[in-house]
Amino acid sequence: MAEIRGKCTFPGGAHPPENKQFGENCPVEVVPVPKQVSILLSQHIGAPCEPLVAKREAVTAGQVIGKSDAFVSAPIHSPINGTVKDIALLPHPVIGRTMGIIIDADAENNTPKQPVNARFDKDFNPADFRPEQICTAVREAGLVGMGGAGFPTQVKIEPNPRLEKKILIINGCECEPFITCDYRVMLEWVWQVIAGIRLAAHAAGVNKIRIGIEDNKPEAIKIVSDTIEQLGNIGDIQVVPLKTKYPQGGERQLIKSILGKTVPTGSIPPTIGVCVLNVATCAAIAEAVMMGNPLTHRVVTVSGCAISKPGNYYVPIGMRVEDLIAHCGGLTETAAKVVMGGPMMGFAIADLSTPLTKTSGALTFLTKAAVTRAKYEKQVTACIRCGRCLTVCPEHLNPTKIAHAVKYNKLDLAKDYYLSACMECGCCSFVCPANIEITGYIKTGKILDARAKKQLG
Amino acid sequence: MLSKITVSPAPHISQNLSTRGVMGDVIIGLAPAVAAAVWFFRFQAVWVIATCVVSCMVSEWICNVIRKKPNSLGDLSAILTGLILAFSLPPMIPLWAATIGSAFAIVITKMLFGGLGCNVFNPAMAARAFMAASLGALMTTWTVPATMGEVHYKGQDANVLATVHAENLYGGSAEQAALTQATPLAWSKSAQKGKADIQPINQMVKPMFYGGVGGCLGETSVLALLIGGVYLLIRRTISFHIPAAVLIAAAVFASIFHLISPDKYATPAFHLFSGGMLICAFFIATDPVTAPLSVKGMWIFGAGVGALVMLIRLVGELPEGVMYAVLIMNALTPLIDRACKLVPAGGKPNVS
Repeated sequence: MAEIRGKCTFPGGAHPPENKQFGENCPVEVVPVPKQVSILLSQHIGAPCEPLVAKREAVTAGQVIGKSDAFVSAPIHSPINGTVKDIALLPHPVIGRTMGIIIDADAENNTPKQPVNARFDKDFNPADFRPEQICTAVREAGLVGMGGAGFPTQVKIEPNPRLEKKILIINGCECEPFITCDYRVMLEWVWQVIAGIRLAAHAAGVNKIRIGIEDNKPEAIKIVSDTIEQLGNIGDIQVVPLKTKYPQGGERQLIKSILGKTVPTGSIPPTIGVCVLNVATCAAIAEAVMMGNPLTHRVVTVSGCAISKPGNYYVPIGMRVEDLIAHCGGLTETAAKVVMGGPMMGFAIADLSTPLTKTSGALTFLTKAAVTRAKYEKQVTACIRCGRCLTVCPEHLNPTKIAHAVKYNKLDLAKDYYLSACMECGCCSFVCPANIEITGYIKTGKILDARAKKQLG
Repeated sequence: MLSKITVSPAPHISQNLSTRGVMGDVIIGLAPAVAAAVWFFRFQAVWVIATCVVSCMVSEWICNVIRKKPNSLGDLSAILTGLILAFSLPPMIPLWAATIGSAFAIVITKMLFGGLGCNVFNPAMAARAFMAASLGALMTTWTVPATMGEVHYKGQDANVLATVHAENLYGGSAEQAALTQATPLAWSKSAQKGKADIQPINQMVKPMFYGGVGGCLGETSVLALLIGGVYLLIRRTISFHIPAAVLIAAAVFASIFHLISPDKYATPAFHLFSGGMLICAFFIATDPVTAPLSVKGMWIFGAGVGALVMLIRLVGELPEGVMYAVLIMNALTPLIDRACKLVPAGGKPNVS
């Protein structure tokens, strides 16, 4: 394989060890139907859903079980055939506890859902669908951004007369260490991904498409470009190899790297005419539009030294972490941390009955050695003002100043140093020699700020 | 098994740097200069360096005991302060004076301000200023390096040593120029006042590069300091901004004076290689605690240090200005930090 060197990049950022070797070469494997799933009513950003089913009601795979009328929201669906056991408070990886629907699987009459990749080929033409039709299908399928933040996809791609979209950027960076699910999706479902990209572009009325992939995934770059070449004349669509650097896959950083433009602080990409979608989301768009399949399954990377069988698994959304661990051979003795997501931005969970959500792309199992001893034992020393956090901050903030302002309860000062512009990538905490949880303080500051605003309003 | 699983905010991995590692790197960077000091000043250097390092460590330990704080010797910053202080002292300094200076550095300038990370002034420079103010002549008595001859062990006074030094270098041709002082900088000061010839001073650049000229312990060998500085730059323990700013500002300042009056002022190369300029640029001004955080601030800080050093050397009464330049810029650091507030990548937000 010829070496591909991505030149496009953004200022700042860090180089955490990539650790992709765990799941890089593991094809996506379908997981058997779990005995029970828990579908959270708040899966992501936006209004929580209202349950549409009652206790002891029978549900079928793909049935809508929760919905909200709010603009920024997405319905949820049952991934399996079964009965609603309860609607109760369940552990949530980010917000602690939230309402969720627990479904018992039918003992018979349940086969695991298979990926649908094979059904897309050269003859597919997005012009067969009307943009409104695509948007409706995407909304009804409950699609959200599968890269992490989980913004409802329909809201993103829907044409907006006030903010016209000119460029569609597809995010295939996967800059987080350990995670390989998007990489496998690009390798294995490339036809489906490209079909989804073309559908999204058609719905958004965009002609220019750029696919950003980090240069540590040369095979993905090659296979995606080759497929586009095979398709021939399908418009202005290009693969852009990017420099491997964390957080290259951050929306704002990706736009900076590919277009050289910066999204204004506090604004969203459409203000400069850009729409960013993740590759896995694109695959789901194709499935939703072509087959009407709702988003009930996704690829999850199980990785790290502390799990017996790492790999990439096609998992029903709502499956519990402990069930997936059991399927993967269980934790090893050395497990120190279970992280939902990657090690840089993921959430450490203590309750292994936490269910997977639409946005959980990975489970990382870290040993004490991987966490590093100082971090594991929380040995924090004084800030020596070395300025490393300023150098790596991709948003050009002063993380140490914000963190210390929050620590000493000076929210005004923290806001003065642009607390809200932080996107919590974690580079500052990663490089800090004093081991200060800079990102943790900033997150706390944001929560305190939100609370203060709530009390005022 | 569950009990072993911990939670904490993201990120869950770290680069495994530590304050101890950062300080240790700087100490490694100073190692060539230590070797040079020991080579040129023999046992006198060993005694001064050991006294400073040990008394800094003891002072820090006592402070921690009194303040009932955990022992902080592990971060190695006390050792570093001791080394830098020793390097800025004359080789013949009495050991009791070095001990008092070290205690001042740690107790007054560092621990009373709250320990590592909280001090406003560079501890070593503040201690040196204290010693210069209170010890007088002891701080300006210089000796020629041991490699120049055994004279200083015989207790001869500074003027004679200086003459010997000059004779060794230039075969006696420059005796009248070197009669007054022993360090190259003091010599150039005399030249500025018209009491010495500038030519032999400019020729000092080569001996200064390899070492073996009079001066403080740490400033004899440019080569050793450069090796250490380059090591720190390669290890990225320091960023290039402050050293570059200090040296560029000093070079520009010196060039202007040299061009205006070449008979009075030494060449820029002489000023960059002499005295504490390099140790200041690589090891003292780059002390992260007392330097600004932002890149823009670092340029301003470095340029300020470089310009002030040259201002004191060329216009002021003192032969060397590193100490006061660093202290003045340390005092300005909070202001520089405030003036160079970073703007987020996407510009200032419209609504706060």
